[in-house]
Amino acid sequence: MDEEILQDFLVEASELVDQLNEQLVDLEHSPTDADLLNAVFRGFHTVKGGAGFLGITPLIEVCHRAENVFDKIRNGDVSYDALAADVILRAFDVISDSIERLNDGERELPANNPQLLVDLDALTKGNAAPVVEAPKQESSLQLAEGVDPDGDMTDEEFEALLNQRDSGGASDNSSENTGLSLAEGVDPDGDMTDEEFEALLNQRDSASNDNVADSSTSKLALPEGVDPDGDMTDDEFEALLNQRDSESSEKTQPKVEAVSAPVASNPSTPPAPKPAASSTPKTPPAKAAPKNNTESTVRVDTKRLDEIMNLVGELVLVRNRLLTLRGADQDLEDISNAVGNLDHVTTDLQASVMKTRMQPVKKVFGRFPRVVRDLARKLGKEIDLELQGEDTDLDKNLVEALADPLVHLVRNSVDHGVEMPDDRVASGKPKNGTVILAAQQEGDHILLSITDDGKGMDPDMLRRKAVEKGMMDEISANQLDDKSAFELILSAGFSTAETISDISGRGVGMDVVKNMITKLNGSIDIHSVLGKGTEISIRVPLTLAILPTLMVSFSEDSYAIPLTSVQEIFDFDSSKTNKIDGQMMVRLRERSIPLYFLSEWLSPQTVKEDYRGDKVIIVSVGNQRAGLVVEQVNGQEEVVIKPLGVGLKHVDGYAGATITGNGNIALILDLPGVVQRFQ
Amino acid sequence: MEMVKENLSTSVSSMTAMEEDEYTGPSARCVLFTMEDEIYGVHVKKIREVLRVGNIRKVEGADYHILGVINVRGVIVTVVDTRIIFGMPSKEVTDHSRIIIVELDDERTVGMLVDFVMEVKDIPENRFEALSATKENASRYIQSIAHFEDNVIILIEIDNLFS
Repeated sequence: MDEEILQDFLVEASELVDQLNEQLVDLEHSPTDADLLNAVFRGFHTVKGGAGFLGITPLIEVCHRAENVFDKIRNGDVSYDALAADVILRAFDVISDSIERLNDGERELPANNPQLLVDLDALTKGNAAPVVEAPKQESSLQLAEGVDPDGDMTDEEFEALLNQRDSGGASDNSSENTGLSLAEGVDPDGDMTDEEFEALLNQRDSASNDNVADSSTSKLALPEGVDPDGDMTDDEFEALLNQRDSESSEKTQPKVEAVSAPVASNPSTPPAPKPAASSTPKTPPAKAAPKNNTESTVRVDTKRLDEIMNLVGELVLVRNRLLTLRGADQDLEDISNAVGNLDHVTTDLQASVMKTRMQPVKKVFGRFPRVVRDLARKLGKEIDLELQGEDTDLDKNLVEALADPLVHLVRNSVDHGVEMPDDRVASGKPKNGTVILAAQQEGDHILLSITDDGKGMDPDMLRRKAVEKGMMDEISANQLDDKSAFELILSAGFSTAETISDISGRGVGMDVVKNMITKLNGSIDIHSVLGKGTEISIRVPLTLAILPTLMVSFSEDSYAIPLTSVQEIFDFDSSKTNKIDGQMMVRLRERSIPLYFLSEWLSPQTVKEDYRGDKVIIVSVGNQRAGLVVEQVNGQEEVVIKPLGVGLKHVDGYAGATITGNGNIALILDLPGVVQRFQ
Repeated sequence: MEMVKENLSTSVSSMTAMEEDEYTGPSARCVLFTMEDEIYGVHVKKIREVLRVGNIRKVEGADYHILGVINVRGVIVTVVDTRIIFGMPSKEVTDHSRIIIVELDDERTVGMLVDFVMEVKDIPENRFEALSATKENASRYIQSIAHFEDNVIILIEIDNLFS
């Protein structure tokens, strides 16, 4: 494989995958939008073309079939319904996963899950739409207990059902194994009438019951403690079905040509619909050695490069000017003009270079329609996601660093925020919940907000919870204002979910999000109205490279404290301090705040007794406040963050270093690390 | 700084001229420096520059052998006390003290504070003697020794020094 061509392909394919991700979800809202259909068709087609050139067979197989499906859809032969979307999204996941694997340096992709190819082929042959209605028409299929046959089916259940049908049909083609026989003349892949389907289901019903009963004694290992006759959870039921599926495809394998490889022997197949539970051991995919990091490159608009080139040209001119001035007996005015010029050029150059690192926030937002769609369907909620300000630019590193916290917050909104459709209707809200993800620039900051119109948070409940968890006593809990009560959810170990779902609410999360944002020198704000919804806003600096700081010093050495954390500064006054349990505290507006004397750490040689004249800087660290005692406050300065040298990266308390105007080095303090040092 | 470089290059040319008569095989160009009367050598390909000692900014809480950081044209570089690494007592910085900036890889550089930088020499490779493992911890950093012009030169393996 030509590595260079492959890299080009990967860059292009990654972009296409990002686009497809959005387009596919959009398509579900407007399934007949011709432009969108064409765009999706072209997307698959282009990926297929590249993959074909490079001979990446598994990728070609999937893209080709997906392309076929969309060809039918745009011709109106097939409609893009929820079922089709599920198959297509599965195919999309395979493609996206393949691209990722190639990016990670893998060169041999695993073979495709045959079921997916079959499903895709089935889609091109005709719409399975009638099937969707089938379960609602009093079908006699016995679902495992715990599954409400009258209620809405989740996708998984439905899929499982279809898989059952498929494998049932497949088995029949090959042998009498399942004792299921199709009515004559019925093409299992083709259109089916409702009657036929029902007849088939009836037949299958008995067959599959036999099958399950039989398997449970022989091949199917039920999870321990599961009573096969008793209640089954959905998951168990699904696992069972999957096991069954894989088995039956094993049986059919020799005779069914379309099924090229049995599922069970193909453990590393990317997103198999549901990995067959116990029968497939998880073997970690062998990672090829060279890890190609395409993320370390940035695409820059040539206009921006021209700008930089132009400025560099200016810079050279200024240098030449200064060179001629040196030596020559010039008057001060010429020199000061040249220096002024230099000042302008470098400022502009700095801004231009900074812009090359900027990327639209769209790169992060692009993944959310899919995240929300999948989650909403899984939870049985109906949610519209609105994206605002996608074109807002921010630093590339920030774009990457913000992805995880945002995913977490959006999942939280969908999971905990927005109510179930019925509850929404009952409380007089529209059935569809709305989650708005917005970005906007605010001076030198970016404001990101996640807003939902869900049930909001109850500050009293949060206060109670904090007391229950032993985080604070009742009195201090009751003293918290609503805003502080909301902020409780950012504390470690504070999960209010009554039942733990697998989506969120493990009690790790919000505190992790908070830490990640703090690391980016950002802040989180929570606003919530019970019954109306919640808004979580994140404020981060435009760039990670430049940091507004407060410069402080001890004798000669200066230190920079990130300004975002600084709340107030006042003179040290020993009459306002107390020693409580060995810890010095300062009283500030009826609150006691721990005091840390930075000189104890930063200039240990000089033992200081008298702190008169020193300053106290109140900083916020996480949800807490601390007072740092410093000798001198030198004022505000914007600094360029530079990493500390070799062997110093793991020293607690420093976030980096910077060079001040006079050429000296100032160390940038990392406040959480500083506080840790004193505890 | 520039003066140092000039000195180094003149001594290089004189040395190579002298050596050419005896030995024409491959040689390794090394920067030689001293600590406690011992001569040490580091291959020039590992060295970016040699600096006079300026302001070293102490970093409180760092390891004992780390003196602090310096600003090398906008890059923050850690300076280590080479004497401590080699198990010698620390010594005051003098006019002869120099910081040798060595490259660990493409991105990471470290400054080594040494007592005195002598010169740059081409040492014929046939003079090198691999060092058998000794008890000293410092031997991990020592690549080999060379007997050369009545001197014993200890060659330092930079890659092992900061791993």
